[in-house]
Amino acid sequence: MKRLFSILAFIFAAGNAGAQEPGLKIGDKAPEIRLLTAANDSFALSSLRGRLVLIDFWATWCAPCIKEQPELKHLYDGLKKHVGEGKFEILGVSLDKSRENWIKTIERLQIGWPQVSDLKFWRSPVAKAYHIEELPFNVIIDGHGKIIAMNLHGKELEAFVRRHLETD
Amino acid sequence: MYQIMIYRIFLAGLLAVLAFQVEAQQKQEPWKPGQLMATKVLADRILAGKAENMLIVSIGPDDPIEGSIDIGPGKDKESIAALKSLLGKTPKDKEVVIYCGCCPFDRCPNIRPAFKLMNDMGFKNAKLLDIPRNIKVDWIDKDYPVKEEEN
Repeated sequence: MKRLFSILAFIFAAGNAGAQEPGLKIGDKAPEIRLLTAANDSFALSSLRGRLVLIDFWATWCAPCIKEQPELKHLYDGLKKHVGEGKFEILGVSLDKSRENWIKTIERLQIGWPQVSDLKFWRSPVAKAYHIEELPFNVIIDGHGKIIAMNLHGKELEAFVRRHLETD
Repeated sequence: MYQIMIYRIFLAGLLAVLAFQVEAQQKQEPWKPGQLMATKVLADRILAGKAENMLIVSIGPDDPIEGSIDIGPGKDKESIAALKSLLGKTPKDKEVVIYCGCCPFDRCPNIRPAFKLMNDMGFKNAKLLDIPRNIKVDWIDKDYPVKEEEN
């Protein structure tokens, strides 16, 4: 009976879209992210000002995140022109702990966009600042660093990004 | 009114199917429902200083829980070898609690190989920390006891 109640609760919770992000909402300014890249260089989200940025929160231990990377790569490759013109970028923020796993996976998946991590797993201050409760999770910010979409995936994500770049 | 009835019947049917699936899934797990330990139970024991007689082992990517031993992700052979060696030095009746906390159980690749090893080695008092979502939401965000961070 207890199980039945939890399923019921789950169904109601699932219907409550946006439950993922109690803290941040569309229209908020995206908290700054200043972390080291895989090459150990400092990188700031604010250095991407002026671009539409997809901040992809992922980790090598997150199976659905790994599954999504080729889709992001497809999106990125299709928008090469916009990336080159400084209009679009993806920032990968990993919640990994193992630097070795992180770097190996970036190489294996041939991810070409900037990648940063504090290698603190779920203890990452970035996970706290963005109120991340589950991976994969992403945020899209406009040229002013304002959040314009959250947690879009697949076709919905691609359509949103393309629409935004075309009307810009 | 009629529509509401139909909707209710539909919902009841859906729930029955879901409950059955959950039941079927649980039967295949290496742990029994009674071997799941709620996070609050463990947190309270650590805070009350009553966790010394138990062994808390992280079999996930990191070991944030105070007093826990890190052996690495349970999906890796090396971690299972490390767990085997650790358990080899542990009395079989000792309470051993393992945890991962990367993701919900259905997505976690680490808990099953580790729990199976405890069963195979005959640990009767083996427990799995019941983390419905992840170690952040179900432990860190609740201000349960965590280790001091390295570096």
